Amino acid sequence: MVTEAMWTVLQQVPNQARTWQGFIDALLKKGINDFILLSFLLFAIGVAGVLTRRNILIIFMSIELILNAANLNFIAFTRYWQMSGRLSEHMGHVFTIFIIVVAAAEAVIGLGIVIALYRNRQTVAIDEIDLLKW
Amino acid sequence: MELAGTEAVFFYILALFTLVMAIALVTAPTAVRGALYLMATLIGVAGLFLLLHAEFVAGAQILIYVGGVVVLFIFVIMLVNIRAEINEPFRTYTRQRRLAAVVVIVMVLGVWYFGIQQDPFHLVRQGPVVALIPPPGAPPPPVEEPTLGGRISEDTQEVGSVLYTKAALPFEIASVLLLVAIVGSVVLARTRRQEETFD
Repeated sequence: MVTEAMWTVLQQVPNQARTWQGFIDALLKKGINDFILLSFLLFAIGVAGVLTRRNILIIFMSIELILNAANLNFIAFTRYWQMSGRLSEHMGHVFTIFIIVVAAAEAVIGLGIVIALYRNRQTVAIDEIDLLKW
Repeated sequence: MELAGTEAVFFYILALFTLVMAIALVTAPTAVRGALYLMATLIGVAGLFLLLHAEFVAGAQILIYVGGVVVLFIFVIMLVNIRAEINEPFRTYTRQRRLAAVVVIVMVLGVWYFGIQQDPFHLVRQGPVVALIPPPGAPPPPVEEPTLGGRISEDTQEVGSVLYTKAALPFEIASVLLLVAIVGSVVLARTRRQEETFD
C-alpha cells in the first residue's frame, strides 16, 4: 500500500507545482486503485485468518471478511462506472446484496454445523476434528 | 470542492480503521473479542460504502451483518465454548502458521507482480482518468436531476428497480436459498432427543 501510494504521489508531483499544496492534492486524489488495494488487503488478512486460526468460529468470521472484500470491490467498480458517466449503473450493488444474502445463509448453516459438532465432540478446535483425515 | 478533500481524509481514516480491526480480528485471543472486532470491521466497510455513494448497501450491511450475522455469531459462541476458553487457555494458532505465511506472501507478491507490474488495467488507464472521489479543483461529475426524495433515496430507488427487473430470477432463487438455510439450520442444530421424538 505504501509503495503504491508513494508511486502514485511521485508520478503526480512533477506534473503539478512542487508545493505542499500539490503534494497534498496528489495524496488526496483517490482513484479506484486505492479501493482495490484496500479490498485486496482485507482479502489477504481474511485468508491468513482462515489458514492460521484454530478456533472454527474465528475461521467463519475470517470468511465473512473475505466476502466483504469482494463486496468492496463490486461497489468500487460500480462507482467507477458511475463516475465514468453511466449514472444508472447499479449492478454491483445488486451483486453485493446477493453476496450478503448468501453470506447470511452460509453463516446460519455453518453455525448450525458448529453447534452439532460441539454437541458430539465437545470441541471447536479444528485440529481436534480429524476423524475424516487420514 | 472542500468536500472532496474531506472525503479523501475519511477514506484514509476508514481504511486504517478497517485494516486495524481486521488484523485484530484474526489475532483475537478469544472468539467473543473476535466477534466485536468483526463488528467494527463491518461498520468500517459500511462507511466505505457510504463514501462510494452506495447508501442502500451500507444500510443493508449494517442491518444484516452487524444486526444479524454478528449477533448470531455471539449466540453460538455463548452456546459453545465460553467456559472452556476461560478455564484452559486455548492455543490460538494451528501448526501450519509457516505454510500460511508462505501462501499469503506468495499471494501478495503475485498481486503486486500481475496487478501492478503487468498492469492489467492499462485499457482502463488509457481512457480518461476517473477519480472516484473527485480531487479538489476537478470539474464536478455530471449532476443528476434533483428529485423529490433527494439523492440518497434515488440510489435506493435505482437499486430496487434493477433488483426487480434485471435480477428478478436471482432474487427469487435467493429467497428459496434463505428458506433452505432456515430449515437446514433447524435440522442441523436439534438435539438427539428431539430427533428421536419427531422422526
